[in-house]
Amino acid sequence: MKISSRFSLGLLVGVLAAAPLITLATAAGASSQTPYQTGAANSGTPNSSMVVKNSSGAVTSYGNGAITYTVPSPALATLGQSLYLENCASCHGVNANGVPADGTSGAFPNLVGLGSATIDFWIESGRMPAANPRSVQADRRTPRLTHDQAVAIAAWINSLDPSYPAIPTPHLAGANVADGAALFALNCAACHTIEGDGDALAQGTYAPSLRNIPAFQVVEAIRTGPGNMPRFTGNLSDYQVRDIVAYVTEYLQHPRNPGGLGLGGLGPVAEGFVGLLIGVGLLALIGYWVGERQ
Amino acid sequence: MSTTSRESSSAGRYGKVGQVLNELDDRLGVAKGGRTFLDKIFPDHWSFMLGEIALYSFMVLMLTGVFLTLYYVPSQTVVTYNGSYLPLFGQKMSEAYASTVNLSFAVRGGLLMRQMHHWAADIFAGAIVVHMARIFFTGAFRKPRELNWTIGTTLLILAIANGFLGYSLPDDLVSGTGIRIMYSIILSVPVVGTYVAFFLFGGNFPGTDILARFFILHVLVIPLIILGLVGAHLFLLVRQKHTQFPGPGRTENNVVGSPMFPVFMAKTTGFLMFVTGVIALLGAFAQINPIWQFGPYFASRISYAVQPDWYMGFLDGALRIFPAWEFTGFGHTIPLEVTIPAVIFPGILFTAIFAWPAIERRYTGDNALHNLLDRPHNRPKRTAAGVAVTMLLTMLFIASSTDVIANYFKISLNTVLWAMRVLVIVIPLLSYPLAYRIAKEMQGVSGIGKRKVTNVVVRTDEGEYVATPAPTYVDDAHHELDPVPVPTFIDGALDEVAGEPDTLETTPGVRRVER
Repeated sequence: MKISSRFSLGLLVGVLAAAPLITLATAAGASSQTPYQTGAANSGTPNSSMVVKNSSGAVTSYGNGAITYTVPSPALATLGQSLYLENCASCHGVNANGVPADGTSGAFPNLVGLGSATIDFWIESGRMPAANPRSVQADRRTPRLTHDQAVAIAAWINSLDPSYPAIPTPHLAGANVADGAALFALNCAACHTIEGDGDALAQGTYAPSLRNIPAFQVVEAIRTGPGNMPRFTGNLSDYQVRDIVAYVTEYLQHPRNPGGLGLGGLGPVAEGFVGLLIGVGLLALIGYWVGERQ
Repeated sequence: MSTTSRESSSAGRYGKVGQVLNELDDRLGVAKGGRTFLDKIFPDHWSFMLGEIALYSFMVLMLTGVFLTLYYVPSQTVVTYNGSYLPLFGQKMSEAYASTVNLSFAVRGGLLMRQMHHWAADIFAGAIVVHMARIFFTGAFRKPRELNWTIGTTLLILAIANGFLGYSLPDDLVSGTGIRIMYSIILSVPVVGTYVAFFLFGGNFPGTDILARFFILHVLVIPLIILGLVGAHLFLLVRQKHTQFPGPGRTENNVVGSPMFPVFMAKTTGFLMFVTGVIALLGAFAQINPIWQFGPYFASRISYAVQPDWYMGFLDGALRIFPAWEFTGFGHTIPLEVTIPAVIFPGILFTAIFAWPAIERRYTGDNALHNLLDRPHNRPKRTAAGVAVTMLLTMLFIASSTDVIANYFKISLNTVLWAMRVLVIVIPLLSYPLAYRIAKEMQGVSGIGKRKVTNVVVRTDEGEYVATPAPTYVDDAHHELDPVPVPTFIDGALDEVAGEPDTLETTPGVRRVER
């Protein structure tokens, strides 16, 4: 209810803003000589006229080509069901509704209606099947199922109640990493840290490191909000998500360290250790060598 | 000053150098003072070099700092970055941040200078602390040197303050968060806090003035005070002469060591090269404070896991682990969870440090002059107190990275927080009796502080192993130079000095002068 009213408000704003936006976009395109200039199409909320919804009001696509969302083929559903029964049903139940055979209802999430991107993310990041189903937060591990198997399971769960977002493929060509960096600082750094290392949150939860996450999984996480992470939908356009993903995969995962050793990105903690142990410590040793010892 | 007029063309015993010095002496009378200075005796125990690390890193700070002021713009005017680092291209940022990124990427040698400056600052503060620990644990602060202890402590506070100001100047996301915390700390001072904060920031946070004010404080006001106090520190050191460890031929009334010229001058010049060399190597090969990865500061943005530079760590740690207490009454709110750890605690800490010589004098009733140092184990209570305070500060320092510890070791952040709250109290209480016991034990051990004698094990023809003590290790012996007369560069200068320096009774090479 809340979300749909936000979308209708967005639609209104979008229609009102469409004309000046297009003018701005043309002007920016004409006046700017560089592909990295902030363009009007790259900033602000999603252009609501591009949002495609299905009959029940769920967003099926943001329609602007920066990210392609693919609904897994229903033909995979049979294979997916058998894989599901082997790997997932002991906790999530044979009907994927979160009720296992022992009937401990409410202990495990209901998967029906979550959208194939959610299913795909949890399996392909290796978090599911869970190593320790009772842990506070599932750790990222080497995936136990292949990409095709994950898509098959997503296809079966999706066939129970077709829902979105579907599995995304970002198209990073032409992404604006400067916009991505600014959006990252605004939306992501508060938990994942500005260098993308992740950090501990309260009560054993943590924001994971972004250093080794494939681009499509970054999109999946942004669009589906796994665990404690908020779900970013209406306030980030596909262009903006693509910019963030480009910044994460091209810069945070490959930081430019023109100043020498990156010191693990731990910031002043590592710097303090180096300054005190190598700096002061080494100089004290040299002093020990230069001076008298008696 | 020599009153004898000499022919300037006549080169004396020391050739052209002596001639130049004669010319100088004729005009400025440098012979007497210069001679005293060159004859100054330095007890060159290695721990006396620790203060020199601070002195020389301060020189590096001034030189690299002058370079940085040529390119840094202390302005909060919002500009659009159009330099070479793509993730910032087209972003809005303060001119201060843009100029810092530009001096890192677009100025030849700029990044090296910035990194050397930052490493030198970390080493400066670190060397002061280590030097201070040496002074404390050996009792070098005792009468007559209480004033120099006060100056040194002031220098430490100024080094921390100026480090924080310099850390804030780039106006990146991390340092901007630090300024915000400092603003809140000032606000938390009862009654005057809001007025002081508004006075300092020219209004509410962040305002548009603060970087320009920090800049002048950082590059002019505080460095000048530091420079003046360093001068006073060294003047008192020369005036009062060095302390020395007890040893053969060393008494309360003499100084045994190397003369300024040539021995100590060679050592200290070499050490200057080492200090600048280590800082330059760190600046070249270890990246520090990569502000381009942080992005510009805006009050709406925040990064998690932000720590200050190490010398502010104990304050950050205290703020992190203090329970959320708040006093509300009489229409006012006092955030005790900020006031106590960030205002009252450092106030008590530094007051105690300043007052320590007086406290100890009162406690021991010892009002005598001390030129011989204590071995730490011979003053178990002082040593234990110093260890306890050091451990308290170390625990607070560790508490400033609770999040990093929790994340790295995969422990709940709440557990780490509570563990640090307990450890901050328990560890100092445990370390006092432990250090006291160890010091007491050491008093009873003969040959303590001396290097253990190596045994040479020989296998005889019959297959028997025989262990005999090895000859004294060459570096372990008190290594002394052959006595040579101090060169008198300036003819007639010796006439001014009352007799030859007292070289009688000294072990070879080391010279002894009366105080």
